[in-house]
Amino acid sequence: MAHKHDNSLMLSQGVFIFVYLAVLTGLEFFVAITFNSVPLLIVVALVKAALVLYYYMHIYQLNMDPAHEGDEHSYEYKTGTNRIGLWLFLISDTFVFGGLMVMRINLLGLTRPELNQTLGLFVTAVLLISSFFMNRGETLMHNGDRKGFLNNTAITFVLGLGFLLGVVLVEWRLAIHEGMTPDSGPAGAAFFMMTGMHAFHVFTGLILLAIVWINGRRGLYDEKNYPVEAAAVYWHFVDVVWIFFYPALYLIGTLA
Amino acid sequence: MRKTNPVGSGFLLLLLGGAVGYGIGLGIDLLMSGTLNFSGGVASAFALLLAVASFFFGLYGYRGITRGLVWQVVGMLLGAFFVTGMRALMGSEEIFGTFFFSEPAWVLGALIGVVSFLFGVGALDDWMKWVRGIDTPEHHEDIPGWEKYFYVSYDHKVIGIQYTVTALFLIAVGGTFAMIFRTELAASQLQFLTVTFRLFNQTGPQLYNTLMSLHGILMIISILLGVSGIINYVVPLLLGAQDMAFPRMNAFAYWVAVPASVLMLMSLVLGGFDTGWTGYPPLSARAPVGMQMFFLGVFTAGWSSILGSLNVIATVLRMRAKGMVAMRMPIFVWAAVATSIIALTATQLIGLSFQLVMFQRLFGMGFFDASKGGNPVLFQHLFWFYSHPAVYVFVLPGLGVISELLPVFVRKPLFGYRWIAMSSLGIALVGFTVWAHHMFTSGMNEYLRVPFMYSTLLVAVPTGVKFFSWVATLWGGKIETPTPMLFVLGAIVVFLLGGLTGPPNAAIALDLHLHDTYFIVGHFHDTIFGGFVFPFFAAIYYWFPKATGRRMSEFWGKMHFWLMTPSFLVLTFGMMRVGLLGMRRRIVDYDPALGLDFSHLILTISAYLIGLSVLIFFINFFHSMKNGEKAEGNLWSSRSPEWQVPSPMPAHNYPVPFEVVGEPYDYGLPGSKYVEFIAPDRQTHHEEEAVIHGA
Repeated sequence: MAHKHDNSLMLSQGVFIFVYLAVLTGLEFFVAITFNSVPLLIVVALVKAALVLYYYMHIYQLNMDPAHEGDEHSYEYKTGTNRIGLWLFLISDTFVFGGLMVMRINLLGLTRPELNQTLGLFVTAVLLISSFFMNRGETLMHNGDRKGFLNNTAITFVLGLGFLLGVVLVEWRLAIHEGMTPDSGPAGAAFFMMTGMHAFHVFTGLILLAIVWINGRRGLYDEKNYPVEAAAVYWHFVDVVWIFFYPALYLIGTLA
Repeated sequence: MRKTNPVGSGFLLLLLGGAVGYGIGLGIDLLMSGTLNFSGGVASAFALLLAVASFFFGLYGYRGITRGLVWQVVGMLLGAFFVTGMRALMGSEEIFGTFFFSEPAWVLGALIGVVSFLFGVGALDDWMKWVRGIDTPEHHEDIPGWEKYFYVSYDHKVIGIQYTVTALFLIAVGGTFAMIFRTELAASQLQFLTVTFRLFNQTGPQLYNTLMSLHGILMIISILLGVSGIINYVVPLLLGAQDMAFPRMNAFAYWVAVPASVLMLMSLVLGGFDTGWTGYPPLSARAPVGMQMFFLGVFTAGWSSILGSLNVIATVLRMRAKGMVAMRMPIFVWAAVATSIIALTATQLIGLSFQLVMFQRLFGMGFFDASKGGNPVLFQHLFWFYSHPAVYVFVLPGLGVISELLPVFVRKPLFGYRWIAMSSLGIALVGFTVWAHHMFTSGMNEYLRVPFMYSTLLVAVPTGVKFFSWVATLWGGKIETPTPMLFVLGAIVVFLLGGLTGPPNAAIALDLHLHDTYFIVGHFHDTIFGGFVFPFFAAIYYWFPKATGRRMSEFWGKMHFWLMTPSFLVLTFGMMRVGLLGMRRRIVDYDPALGLDFSHLILTISAYLIGLSVLIFFINFFHSMKNGEKAEGNLWSSRSPEWQVPSPMPAHNYPVPFEVVGEPYDYGLPGSKYVEFIAPDRQTHHEEEAVIHGA
């Protein structure tokens, strides 16, 4: 593959971006619990999302067309088409989450549901770390390191499962225990709908990870590794959604 | 097996299956309630499902669509029984509901039914193989003959025809519903849909509401499928592509619409729903189970729309012929892109809004329930964010067809190609900013009204651009009027009327008066007929020879046009008139003192005449498939690439690839050419060159 030479560069880039994201997440939490500036939280979320979109999801690849005209049946050209298809799907999916965000702003305004902010930070950290390992696994597969890919994807899967269970089993149960049920009012409705829809996407992402892990182990992606890239991009997309949902549910505004 | 006439055995089994299903349903009802309920929903639901499945069994045997439908029914029942069992185990008080199963059981069952259909019909076969790491060939060979249309095919032309025929079927069903309730409206007072009338657990007026709501949504779905049909068939041909970018997703997008249509029809028998197709809460939050089937049906059909448009955009971006730069693409391709941008993004919002109401009903989540801190107006915002741009999804391809066909029949270049191309995108983008004009009377913030009024009026600008271009194209041309051109001209006239009656509704002061009257009904029937139905018929008459190698009868085509157009104009003008005189929308009855009885009688008669004209079309359509006059050449003397090769098109489209060498619509300019086929010797030369460059 063409990118073999910059192996270590790509890996260290992933580490740097992860550090940036971790610092920004900490800053976000600090801003929220001290002076709760909504514009600042929005800016931090946008910066985080931009970092993930560019460095983890490689949005710039859409502009890179390796194949020239008349070669429409080559794997490279089809990969370019598949990338466009996946990104179009993500744009479409963004509208669902955008709609949920509109619902939350309309129903709750500048108040937020009563939730455990530390637990929120914890699950967010888990998802963030999983994204780091996903990026690592994808980069390694791109360079033909099957074992590295399998290990990192397995870690991603475990962390992702941890996030899913953390939200659905711990977080939901805690909320219901505190008296916030889906039918208790707008805060409960918005919280369960938003986390539920996100959890559904995490769940589908886990299925995709399992598929690429199993097929990757059989050596299916040693040459043609677009499925790995697609699963990784989808996984990071789920992360980007959480970058916005997390402050919207846990940080912004005052308690309802 | 082929000894008997398949259609005949299909209909025979339809009756048989219907009767058996009705019997089973009656039996269940008898067991549950101890009384025989002949007009009950359960009996009707079983009758409907078994009748549809048996019809295809007789037609086609247990494969393809039949297998899908059987799996859908089985999946639905299994899902429903699963929920019922769970509820029984958990000690719920309401294990069964009005329609045998409880509402959650029906919803989960319906969802599982849709997934089962897709597995059963085989739309997921290749993907499942990929998941297991098995490679599949890029193209599968289709079975020959008509049978391939009831089977999963990855050929965009087969899928385009599947879409179109499904759309025509739904138009027929939706139109029949319209004629039923139009008959009731022919005179004031209730005549046959009376309070004592009972069908599917609904009284006459309830049934009126259900039919009116279903007429709306079935027509919308059929339009979406019709749009996909033309786009699917034509766009890859215009681009010179072998197929769409993602053939499997293309097939998936079509097949997911089939169980969606079944769900939509099931809503009729499961208590119906009385909200209109808009499904506003709080009414939709307490309508019968049919409401949920409607929500799920729209949700599922939405996936068809989203994935289909995703495919179109990717195809146009990646699969164009050599030399086809953006400004040399056929205008219909521009329209398809514009329409796909809307369908790709906005469709999610109608899905979300309906999903939220579904969850409100199932889990008591109070999104739109004011008593739980919810906001009903929020639903309208989410809903119209799709449902207004949706009308541009309907009309943009239609307007594209007009611009595409007009130069062919006036033998003159299309006036202002760039402006037309950009106006499609302009309509699509402005269309995103106008949704709240549906809500001037809803009680939303008053300061929002004025910006939405202006943005709505702004839509008239790019639309006006199209009209000026059409008029300028017609000006001084050698106008020929075969049937497709008649429909193009009819479309221009009717869409103009729809367009001119739009701005009055956009003006707040007038809209407060016109809201919810028949004026609106007249207005939007004009826009949809002008923007979609007329161009759709034009497109069918125009591309029918390409698909079949035969042409439809000119005489009956002209009969269709000359019967439909005047009746339609009478219908919509009449609708606007009674609206201005105080006739309200969506109601089963009106005050005789309004003095509108005679007008309504005229409206009903024109509606019947439209129905008759469409019937003529149907007979012409199916008759010409086998018996039409042969037309294998460039029937319309078009410059477009698909007409430069003999009809019908072979399986993988162009045997020889072409190259774009000129402007698409320079009709009548001597020596100009749009496409040139790359001669085989040049082709190999190209390949050699490519090899050299590649090395």
